[in-house]
Formats: sequence, C-alpha cells, structure tokens
Amino acid sequence: MLSAEKVVANQIVVPGSGIYKLVLEGEVAATARPGQFVHLQVGLATDPLLRRPVSIAGIDRERGIVTLFYRVAGRGTALLAGVGEQETLSVIGPLGNGFTLPQAGELLLLAGGIGIFPLFSLMDAVDRSKVKVKVLWGAENRQLLEAAGRQRLVDLALDYEVSTIDGSMGQPGLITNLLESYLRKRSLESTQQRISTVACGPPVMLKAVTEICLREGLPVEVSLEERMACGVGACRGCVCTVRAAGGTLERRRVCKDGPVFKGREVVWDAEG
Amino acid sequence: MQKVDLSTQLAGLKLKNPVLTSSGTYGFGEEYGAFYDPGFLGGITVKGITPKARLGNPVPRLAETPSGMLNAVGLENPGLEVFLNAYLPRLEALKTAVIVNISGFSLDDYALMAEAMPEESCIAALEVNISCPNIKDGGMAFGTDPRSAEEVLRVTRKHTKLPLIAKLSPNVTDITALAKAVANGGADIISLINTLLGMRIDITSQKPILANTMGGLSGPAVLPVALRMVYQVYAAVKLPIIGMGGISSWQDAVEFMLAGASAVSVGTANFVNPLAPLEIIEGLEEYCRQHGYAAVREIVGLAHR
Ligand SMILES: Cc1cc2nc3c(=O)[nH]c(=O)nc-3n(C[C@H](O)[C@H](O)[C@H](O)COP(=O)(O)OP(=O)(O)OC[C@H]3O[C@@H](n4cnc5c(N)ncnc54)[C@H](O)[C@@H]3O)c2cc1C
Ligand SMILES: Cc1cc2nc3c(=O)[nH]c(=O)nc-3n(C[C@H](O)[C@H](O)[C@H](O)COP(=O)(O)O)c2cc1C
Repeated sequence: MLSAEKVVANQIVVPGSGIYKLVLEGEVAATARPGQFVHLQVGLATDPLLRRPVSIAGIDRERGIVTLFYRVAGRGTALLAGVGEQETLSVIGPLGNGFTLPQAGELLLLAGGIGIFPLFSLMDAVDRSKVKVKVLWGAENRQLLEAAGRQRLVDLALDYEVSTIDGSMGQPGLITNLLESYLRKRSLESTQQRISTVACGPPVMLKAVTEICLREGLPVEVSLEERMACGVGACRGCVCTVRAAGGTLERRRVCKDGPVFKGREVVWDAEG
Repeated sequence: MQKVDLSTQLAGLKLKNPVLTSSGTYGFGEEYGAFYDPGFLGGITVKGITPKARLGNPVPRLAETPSGMLNAVGLENPGLEVFLNAYLPRLEALKTAVIVNISGFSLDDYALMAEAMPEESCIAALEVNISCPNIKDGGMAFGTDPRSAEEVLRVTRKHTKLPLIAKLSPNVTDITALAKAVANGGADIISLINTLLGMRIDITSQKPILANTMGGLSGPAVLPVALRMVYQVYAAVKLPIIGMGGISSWQDAVEFMLAGASAVSVGTANFVNPLAPLEIIEGLEEYCRQHGYAAVREIVGLAHR
C-alpha cells in the first residue's frame, strides 16, 4: 500500500504540451485495476505538503510497472516533472474502486480532455474479442488530443471519434453533440447489443453526458476528481454527494468509495 | 540493550505508549489498517460525533497552504446512534485505547452523548471538542469563552465516569484562561490544539477556495503555535496534556513532551506519511535510550527547568 517505486521514465510526451508520461516500477502494478489511482509524494520538504492523486493509465503486471500521464497544473505537478529517472517516489496505492469490466456487449468510453488517461487502462483490460469498444473524445483542440495520446487509439485499432471546441480536429463543438449523434446513428442501426458507458472528464462534461445516458436508459459510470488529503478514506475531505436508495442525500468519499460512481446516483450541484 | 518504558498514564487514561492519532484524521480506526496494525499505537481518536448524523460542508473542503492545509469538513459524521451500533463494535477489535471525540451545538448535546457512551467498552476516554458554535447562545464557539467552556465540561462530567479530555481551540487570546476553565469544569486531561481558523483565495476565480470560505489550519505550519500553547498550559494548570498540532516526526514529539505534553497526537502527518505514528514511537524510544531515560515519562516538562 505504501511503497518506494522506481521511476523508469518521466518525460514530456510532446514538447510544450505540459503533459508527462511517468512509468513506475514496484509493488503497485501487482494489484492495480483500471480506474484506480495512486497518491504520489511530489517533494521531500513540507511544502507542498499533500500528496497528489494521479490515475493509473497502464498496468503491466509481468514487468511490475504502471504508467501514468499527468498534466502540469500547479506547483505539485511541476515538482513531479522534475523527478529524474532512477529516482524513487513514495507512492500510496493502488487506491479506489476502479471501473466495472464488461464481459460482453458494447463499451462506450466518453472522455473529456485529459479524462482519457484512466480510460487507457480500461481499453487495455477489456477483452475486445467479446466486447465492442467505442471511444468518443472531446477536447479543446487538436494539440491536446495529440499530446494526450490520440495515436494510442490508432495503435490499438480502436473505433473512435473526436470533437474539438475550436474545430481543429473531428467534429466541431462539444462531446455532447458527438454523443447525441452517435446514439442517433446507433438507434437507427437498431443493434441489440447491451451497452455500458464509462465517462471521465471535467464535472460539467460528466454531468451533461450522464444526463444524456440516463435519458437514453444507458448505464453510466463516472470517474470523479476532488481535492484530496489522505487518499484512504480517513479525512472525508474529498466527498461527492449521492442520492441513496431511499432518496436521502449521502456523502461518499471519492478516494475510497470512488473515484468511480454510478452516474445515476451522483447529485451534481449539491449544496449544504 | 536497555529497555525503555514507553507506557504512560494520564489521569484515568492508561496508554501503552504516548502516541495517539487525532480526531478527524484517522477515520474510525480502520482506514490505516492497510499500512499497519493500529494495535501498535498508544491510542486512536475517532472523528467527532454529534447527536444526529451530519452531511457536513459542500466541497471544496480542502485547500493546501504553505507547509499546511485547511479543512472545512463541517463535522460530517454518522451520528450517535449509528456510531454506537455500527462503528463501536468494530472498534472493539482494535487492540488499542479508543478515544471518542464528541461535538455539540448545545449543552444538552454534550450531556446526551456523554450519557450514551458505554463505560464498559473499548472506549478509554471521551474527548470533548468545544470548538463548535453554541447555536443557542448566538453561535459563539463554546471554546473561545472560558465560562461556556467550563459549563460544557461541568455538564458532560455529570453524565459519565469515563476520563474526560477537554480539547482546546487555539483561536483565543489567552489559552491558559481556557485551560483553567475546563480544569474547574471537571476535565481530567487537556488536549491541544485544534485547528487555527484560516482561508485561501483562488486568484483565477477571485473567490475563496473553500466552499465554507474559512477552514481549520493544520500541519507543520501550526507547530510553533501549538508548542507554545502546550508550554503555557503546562505552567498554568496541573492536568496532564495531550499535545498536538503539526507533529510529523519523533523530534517534533520530543519537543512537545519537553514542553509538557504527557502524550502526543498525530493528525495531518498521517496523510503525508501513513507510517508517521510508528516512526514517532520508535524515535521516542531511541531518544530515551540515547539520553539515558528509563521511561519516556521522565522527559515530560523538562523544558521548564
Ligand atoms: C482520482 C484522481 C485522479 C487523477 N488523475 C489524474 C491524471 O491521471 N492525470 C492528471 O494530469 N491529473 C489527474 N488528477 C488531477 C491531479 O491530481 C491534479 O491536477 C493535481 O493534484 C494538481 O496538483 P498541483 O500541485 O499541480 O496543482 P495546485 O493547483 O497547485 O494544487 C493545489 C491543491 O489542489 C489539489 N488539486 C488541484 N487540482 C486538482 C484536481 N483537478 N483534482 C484533485 N485535486 C486537485 C492538489 O492536489 C493540491 O492539494 C486526478 C485527480 C484525482 C482526484
Ligand atoms: C481533516 C481534518 C478533520 C478534523 N476533524 C476534527 C474533529 O472532528 N474533531 C476535532 O476535535 N478535531 C478535528 N480535527 C483537528 C485535529 O484533530 C487536530 O487537532 C489538528 O489537525 C492539529 O493537529 P495536526 O496539525 O497534527 O493535524 C481535524 C483535522 C483535520 C485535518
């Protein structure tokens, strides 16, 4: 659960993108599942104090390595970018519940921006001889899609569509448009395949795609992000709000009960 | 190698070693079980319990600060009944002293909870958190007014035979006035400090980071303030002290004990280094051995000589 992982690689993926690939060798890989995350200590001093949560994007059990992708967002991730190969990082993990792995039917993956990262591990894990995988991915622009790993989808020969807000690649606009048109097309083909949906991205995107999925009667899992302290469920800092069976509101810990939740349970704009 | 006696006793609270974990940072004692057996600890303190379940504050509840953090969890907890029925039985299995932190918004709240906590159970003591606003008296925190603080302890005392720990808020001008007040009210032990009120603003959105605007500061940043208060309280009252606030290493723990703490409690440091409490126990033992103390109790208050 707490280990010193060796940094096998820590490189920027495309110069200027601010997105890094971090490969860790150690104990985490042995038990990691798609959708889980690790809690990384980014410095040895007390400032910044807290660990940083990063999703597990790739798992190689045999070689004992996990791959993470992170975007430099502030001081902590900037420090992380400076960690050199062969150094060790203090890691807590794997943490969280992870995605449900479908055994049949269609798996529709919905990614907003760098929300694609945790979905990479799911693409790897799902048995594509039994499950049809489709990816819909919305981002700001082409540069982000390329830096965040579009080539990976090509290499995996995945069926995918993208949208960009500035129209520089794929369908111009938001992922919600992409999702609506895909579902329309799919209903015309009247496939009988069972479909399950997994979404990861910024909260506004998750809320919007969840509403569409629920309207269409599609089960949807969402991977949430929230500011975290302990990462193990002890401090209750990173909660989300869900509507429980009886209709009452309850708080759940994103780090321990999540980060993956059933979209239909999540109350998006909970107050008080 | 000479064996160091780590055991200690604070009034009616017997501990196998002087290292505890702090309320709100250690869940209900199970979360850190994946790292080590909590039975190694002197004791654990559970999240603050209120008579009724509380949803707590909206998110964001956390903000990082230089060498510290702010939290505004808002006392989210399952409430007294669920605590007694669901959590307490599981706490029985931990081989360590369990301290239950109770929080109230009226004197009746404290009375009710003290009465309900079984005296024949794993509960070794009650920690009375007096940092909550007193709703009936206009929302002023019990813990910042010596008279109300004394009243809370007096009322709680009437409803339990368990050792009572009064947990003091640092958001006061004179901590010794509060310490004397809770001593008069019937506290057996004093713990300090709770968090310091603070805030942060996001310069992009130009709004406070915390949904609650303000939150409690903890972590290494508060250590000197906490240490100073422990030192002052030790000189002012005779009650044993549990020192906390920013303790992350055995060196920090030694400082607190020299200042007058009979036991120390680890909070925020758990988030950074889950093994911190164990490393502190080992370090304290080694410090005593190196300096020729047969028992860790001997170093309490030495900085006052
Ligand atoms: C379960 C989970 C998985 C994640 N996976 C990834 C990933 O695979 N790749 C990636 O690039 N990012 C991921 N993030 C977001 C990442 O944790 C933040 O970008 C990072 O913590 C920012 O730290 P900073 O010091 O650079 O930024 P600062 O803004 O300086 O951080 C200040 C504080 O706020 C917290 N914080 C800031 N932004 C976020 C955020 N979006 N989510 C949670 N906490 C935040 C920090 O942890 C820190 O405590 C994930 C977050 C969560 C909760
Ligand atoms: C997330 C969090 C939740 C807390 N919840 C409580 C609580 O419920 N009751 C209480 O008396 N103190 C609570 N505290 C205060 C701690 O018990 C402790 O007094 C304080 O954090 C200072 O110690 P530290 O710097 O080692 O964390 C909480 C602290 C944190 C960080």
